Amino acid sequence: MILYDFEYERARSLPEAAAMLARLGPNAKIMGGGTDLLPNMRLALARPTTIIGLSGIRPEAPRLTLDGRLRIDGLTTLAALAHSELVATHLPMLAESAQVVGSHQVREMGTLAGNLCQETRCLQLNQKHDYQFKSPCYKRGGACCYPFPRNRPGTCWSVHMSDIAPALIALNADIETVSGTGGRRLAVEDMFTGDGMHPIGLEPGELIRAIVTPLPPANFGWGYHKSSRRGGFEYGMAVIAIALSLDVSRQVCAAARIVFGAIRERPVRASATEQALVGQRIDDTLVARAVAVAVEEVNPLPHHGFTRSYLIDNIRVYLRRALVRAVERARTQSAAT
Amino acid sequence: MTELSHVGKSFRRKDGPDKVTGRAAYSEDIKLPGTLIGRVLRSPHPHARIARIDATAALALPGVKAVITVDDTKGIRHGFVETPRYPPDQEVLARGRAVYVGEEIAAVAAVDHLTAQRALELIEVEYEPLPAVFDPIEAMKPDAPQIHPSHPKVASEVPYSNIGGRTTAEWGDVEEGFAQADYVREDRFESHLRTHGYLEPHATIAHWENDRLNVWTSSMGTFIKRAKLARTLDLPYSAVRVHKVYVGGTFGGKIDLYSHEYCAARLSMITRRPVRIVASREEIFSAYRHGQPLAMELKTGVKKDGTIVAQQIRVINNSGAFRGSGVVVIFLAWGFTMIPYRIPNLKYEGLSVYTNYPVRAPQRGHGCPQIRFAIESQLDAIAEHLGIDPVTIRLRNAREPWEALPNGDNVHEAGLIDCIRVAAEKSNIGERYGRGRKASGTIRRGIGMGVSGYFGGSLIYPNGSGVIVKMNDDGTATVLTGGIDVGQGSETIICQIVAEELSLDFDDVKVVASDTDATPQDIGAWISGMTYVTGNAARQAAGTARRKMLDLVAARFNVAVETLTVQDKVVFNRHNPPQRMSYRDIVAYSIATQRGDTILGEGFWRTMRDEPTHPSLATTKGRWSENYAFSCQVAEVEVDIETGEAKLLKALTVHDCGFPINPALVKGQIDGQVSMALGHAFLEEIMTKDGFTLNPTWLDYRMPTIHEMAASDDADVITEQYVVGKPYRTKEVGEGLVSGILAAIANAIYDATGVRLTSTPFTPDKILKGLRKLERERRGKN
Amino acid sequence: MLEARSAQAQTAPSIRSRIIELFVNGERYEVVVKPRNSLVEVLREKIGLTGVKHGCEQGACGVCTVLLDDRPVLGCLTLAVECDGKRVRTVEGLAQGDRLSPIQQAFLDQGAVQCGYCTAGMLMSATALLERNPKPSVAEIKKALEGNICRCTGYNAIVAAVQQASGQGVEPVMR
Repeated sequence: MILYDFEYERARSLPEAAAMLARLGPNAKIMGGGTDLLPNMRLALARPTTIIGLSGIRPEAPRLTLDGRLRIDGLTTLAALAHSELVATHLPMLAESAQVVGSHQVREMGTLAGNLCQETRCLQLNQKHDYQFKSPCYKRGGACCYPFPRNRPGTCWSVHMSDIAPALIALNADIETVSGTGGRRLAVEDMFTGDGMHPIGLEPGELIRAIVTPLPPANFGWGYHKSSRRGGFEYGMAVIAIALSLDVSRQVCAAARIVFGAIRERPVRASATEQALVGQRIDDTLVARAVAVAVEEVNPLPHHGFTRSYLIDNIRVYLRRALVRAVERARTQSAAT
Repeated sequence: MTELSHVGKSFRRKDGPDKVTGRAAYSEDIKLPGTLIGRVLRSPHPHARIARIDATAALALPGVKAVITVDDTKGIRHGFVETPRYPPDQEVLARGRAVYVGEEIAAVAAVDHLTAQRALELIEVEYEPLPAVFDPIEAMKPDAPQIHPSHPKVASEVPYSNIGGRTTAEWGDVEEGFAQADYVREDRFESHLRTHGYLEPHATIAHWENDRLNVWTSSMGTFIKRAKLARTLDLPYSAVRVHKVYVGGTFGGKIDLYSHEYCAARLSMITRRPVRIVASREEIFSAYRHGQPLAMELKTGVKKDGTIVAQQIRVINNSGAFRGSGVVVIFLAWGFTMIPYRIPNLKYEGLSVYTNYPVRAPQRGHGCPQIRFAIESQLDAIAEHLGIDPVTIRLRNAREPWEALPNGDNVHEAGLIDCIRVAAEKSNIGERYGRGRKASGTIRRGIGMGVSGYFGGSLIYPNGSGVIVKMNDDGTATVLTGGIDVGQGSETIICQIVAEELSLDFDDVKVVASDTDATPQDIGAWISGMTYVTGNAARQAAGTARRKMLDLVAARFNVAVETLTVQDKVVFNRHNPPQRMSYRDIVAYSIATQRGDTILGEGFWRTMRDEPTHPSLATTKGRWSENYAFSCQVAEVEVDIETGEAKLLKALTVHDCGFPINPALVKGQIDGQVSMALGHAFLEEIMTKDGFTLNPTWLDYRMPTIHEMAASDDADVITEQYVVGKPYRTKEVGEGLVSGILAAIANAIYDATGVRLTSTPFTPDKILKGLRKLERERRGKN
Repeated sequence: MLEARSAQAQTAPSIRSRIIELFVNGERYEVVVKPRNSLVEVLREKIGLTGVKHGCEQGACGVCTVLLDDRPVLGCLTLAVECDGKRVRTVEGLAQGDRLSPIQQAFLDQGAVQCGYCTAGMLMSATALLERNPKPSVAEIKKALEGNICRCTGYNAIVAAVQQASGQGVEPVMR
């Protein structure tokens, strides 16, 4: 139950929503499916005075653009994304990442843009504060941090849990935004600040209109894994998304993008790991070396009850398996698997 | 012997149609005009003196109709246990001191949710934090913060602080036993904090009207709620009516009095309007009562053929800030130790220790899953050391039919030996165990066995069940029973028994249940005895009505009762069929000729009919149950040895429940307990820090989803039978079957990996650490 | 940084209620709602359909699942104002008069109902599944029902019920 009154307006288009946001100011928030915003409002973590509902806007179907990219409307539901034939054919990793979000019901309600723009999470944050953790933490505008008491004011280590953002970053996707003053295009990777206090780097009043992804190059392979304790209905312990391509001989790694999600305030590129792979002949030794580099490079925050060392143990195994799978796919170039 | 028509058959649930159509009304669905919304103000400190409470601003808020603190109560205490040794120790609202995060400090009633929330925020409470303690070992130390003085009897026996209760039991001579043993092994096991996870939140609506209190509340027994509410409100029981509602799952977490129930009632008495209080999921996870975490030290001595010679056990319960059911679980851990195996020499000590947490409640098995996990794990380790297989060692120690138990009880037709044999045969564990560790590859499979025993229907208030069967003058019957259906199917079972005894169709029997005004007293759904106790009362009641009808017909036609047969609601003379009367005719005839006797059948039942009371919780002395159930369960697990991730693939449950009254309902209980066991084993954990609950949400308290579903197979070992007109013995099936699977999972993980885990949950982290340790040891050897 | 919780919200101007139109189980309703009212609140309190259950309000148990324009959604995370003009189906709308739908009947036949609290949500998720996929595999059943938690049944009987209702050779075990 949301225990305060707010206004609701319905936008008929994204530019209209942007104009409403500009008019109503910072106390207004847009809402896609509501699966992130409404729980946060119930917990009094968000208190917009007006919600601008976007559910009346019919999203465009995913389509190929004239310059050979895949364009997905930001308001596409996760269920539609997971079941889109176009996405499954060209970007199966994206379809896979949508399919593992939450539950069936959450996927019917939630939007792609909403998944990217979700708030960061932490155990002490995402619960009611009537009597538990009553004094607000830094993220709630207060003066402490419960899981990491030695953190200085303004430092928040809440985690960005999106399952889809790592896949999009690995696929080198961009977002296209719309705002009162126009709009811009930026890499998905660049929309995250890495600051748990303000994790999303969009301007006030700036909305995601679409996600645009290049089609995979030749000899492309992908690997994706969401670590979780149960088979579904969870946020991840860690998310691994790998996009790599091989050279024409299919022996040497031509390019690699490796992204980890649900381990830090933002999805993180494993650049050193990528560099360990690029230009190298791929075999078991290389994979092992890359994993060793990744284990050094990745610096997961302990979160949601998982220790840092356990997360690293988990990543060590699943990164290797996902890499092997990515290479297999690249060698057989069967985009559908 | 005529074949049974209803008992032993899988009839569809009586309440099924209501539940699948949404008609079933649970507590929160009850609508009364003018209902106020109640909320409880809870302590933000694990331990603090309450210096001042000022509700003036809250009361002044428009829409707030009442605010109560402990000063608005009669100061009458209650507790899960209320005996001379363990008198009630809890007040309904905190007096002077808060002893756990979430403790109830005050309550408000307001016209709507927003106003109630605002009112809570306006109550000013001044706290002076006190040192708190969370670990029982720490709490026992002499310089620990004192939550309550140790029990005076215990304080004179042992020098520990914060002891709520102590149980000791001893027979034989353990030191001598260990000296005689060929092999002695000591281990420590820990079972962690986990919770019931019922889908329906606690919900209560109370309405004080015309000097009577009407209550609808989610519970495991309306009569115990009536008693505790009446006493704390200082009302006669007859002034309190606890109505029938459907209940959305309990598992032990909704038995005795909860503060919000009292508050809803008291607020209604003050405002004269209905007051509804529904706990939020965060409240349930952080401030309500969870299962008991036990630390268990086991020392066991055996002969080289695996026969147990001596056992010394110490159990420490992290009790929370009041006694709660803690003093019962330390008794039960003894009980569940001594039921399945012979132990010639035993020394047992159980301590229930106060800590600054919410008080605990029984959780399905109430100590059995924890202690069987410990005993069965150790027994497997002993078997391996001796070179004996897991089946043989269990058969060697398993109790046989008609064995006397050390407490003076008898196991009657105990089917444990057959359970073990059937489980061994069906699972082929003899051939399969020991292989998992030798396999190669990253996925290892293992198989393990767990034995358990359970009791049923012991004496605890309300102690006995009454049932009334009324014949209706159209020939159908209505059963009045205080028994409450919390999902286990009690209403269905009772109707089956009545239909059997009265030769009625299932649809001819209707049930009115669990209403403290309209139905007789009942033992409740938490003591694993309803099928046996309430069922026998129903049998008796139906049998009485049947007898009355047959006697009337016999008298009318001047024949012996034995010549009469019943078919399709017609009683006729087997040798002269035209001598017949339909039920409808009989009832009319009875009213006409028997001064208006409408034909009622009364029945009542109680376990331990010759015993005045339950055994001593402190000394274990005294007869306990006439109704011991046994089981042997086998678990097959799969472990990824690179990640440590493990899952339950398949469970086999072979159980002696006497005989099943409704086999499909029994299967439902087994499947549910397998699910709970795998949750306990792998997934569920209430994470706390400094008295706060870190994961009070479904997302982070991970109960099994449909993805975790394990294949669940079962077999009955039938040891009893049902004969119309005669008392029967069924044994419990709703609680004791978590334990064997939990133990079997632990043993299966060892079988798969060589890692012996001594604490739950069996997380990937622990399995990986265990595997690394084994690897280091292997390298060390080479 | 999230907005600090303020106890001063009540000084804000009072929010006007509005009238929305809902088609629930085939019947048209006009209801007065405030923007903050969830679909669960409106169905239960204003329309009186208490078959939709209230379990956690966190979107994490599934007991509030209803069909919104044929899609399974969580009623606790759906604002009623967003449902203006939409079709809602709840458990009360599954039976045709006295005739239970195949999935309702299958739940009874398989023992897939114990305490019954997850049942309404589970039936709605199962109904949505079978409308799209008349013969789902076990994996598909699991994926469709992964958002509905059950504590009583262990899910075995629920899977069997969906298989029975979809005519996949599972016979009733209760009669």
